[in-house]
Amino acid sequence: MYIKLTKMTDEEIVRQVQKGDKEIYARLVKRYQDKLIRYATYLVGDYHLASDVVQETFIKAYVNLNGFNVKKKFSSWIYRIAHNEAMNVLKKDKKVFPIDEQVEIESGVNLEEELIKKELKTQTQSCLQQMPVIYREPLSLYFLEDKTYEEISDILRIPTGTVGTRINRAKVMMKKICQK
Amino acid sequence: MSKINSEIEDKVMTRIKTEEVTMKPRWYFVVGSVFMLLGLVSLTVGSIFLSNLTLFLLKQHGPMGQWRLETLLDSFSWWIPALAILGMTIGIMMLRQYDFSYRKNLTLVVLGFLASIIISALLIDHFGLNNLWSQLGPMKKFYQQLENKNTTPGRMQNGSGRFRNRP
Repeated sequence: MYIKLTKMTDEEIVRQVQKGDKEIYARLVKRYQDKLIRYATYLVGDYHLASDVVQETFIKAYVNLNGFNVKKKFSSWIYRIAHNEAMNVLKKDKKVFPIDEQVEIESGVNLEEELIKKELKTQTQSCLQQMPVIYREPLSLYFLEDKTYEEISDILRIPTGTVGTRINRAKVMMKKICQK
Repeated sequence: MSKINSEIEDKVMTRIKTEEVTMKPRWYFVVGSVFMLLGLVSLTVGSIFLSNLTLFLLKQHGPMGQWRLETLLDSFSWWIPALAILGMTIGIMMLRQYDFSYRKNLTLVVLGFLASIIISALLIDHFGLNNLWSQLGPMKKFYQQLENKNTTPGRMQNGSGRFRNRP
């Protein structure tokens, strides 16, 4: 059963949940919580706030699951909900959030490599946080979440051309910010 | 981090299992989509009709109407173009809800929507459907009311060059 579950695509799991198997939704939560917390942290700048965003994201996704078209990508859909939730939080509290140091890196090969990674990641986050959110988002989705232009377009609901433009501008901005 | 993650999973699954949160039924989304489509179609048709009615009323003032701007401003039924603009604005807002609006260039989608309304209104006017509707069918009374409001003795009718009351 476990093997079968791990092989199931997101969309297949959604179909099962839509049919009434609530328990299997936990599988989707497991698959996406780390990624979504990381993404939300880039956006709101606070790990605990990001985990609230993610919790609300999963609840909203469940409530609206029957509205999801299984022919489309579930990952883009759930990232879109997380984006909306994070934007609501940012609108509510417009202050600039401090960069949270608690974001851990998954256990890697060795300690030295892990430290370098951690340093790079902290530095990247620090630079990212100084950027306007419209550039921060596509950049983090493209480089840190490995999303394609099409997926980013679906998540942010902007044309793929605009995604490219924003990523290019964000790269220039990032270079300037990080070199300061 | 993993502790928080398992907390998220536990909280989410507890709320689901205890039915504190439930899935909206499929029909809710189907009805929503149908209403959205019907709303968009109605708004488009309504905007076409109102834009065309605006043209019809403007033409009622006949040639050289621009020289009688004051009279035109006094008697013109402003609610018609106002409603047409409102319809177009809401239509654009509804269009933005559809996936194609961000996959394509939104400015082009909006311009296309507005152009299709204006062109349709011009075509209806060009083919004289207004004159037909003002004389026959269920819209006759409505057109007559508007004509009465917008015409004064001696003013030309329907831009056709015919005078209603020749002195």
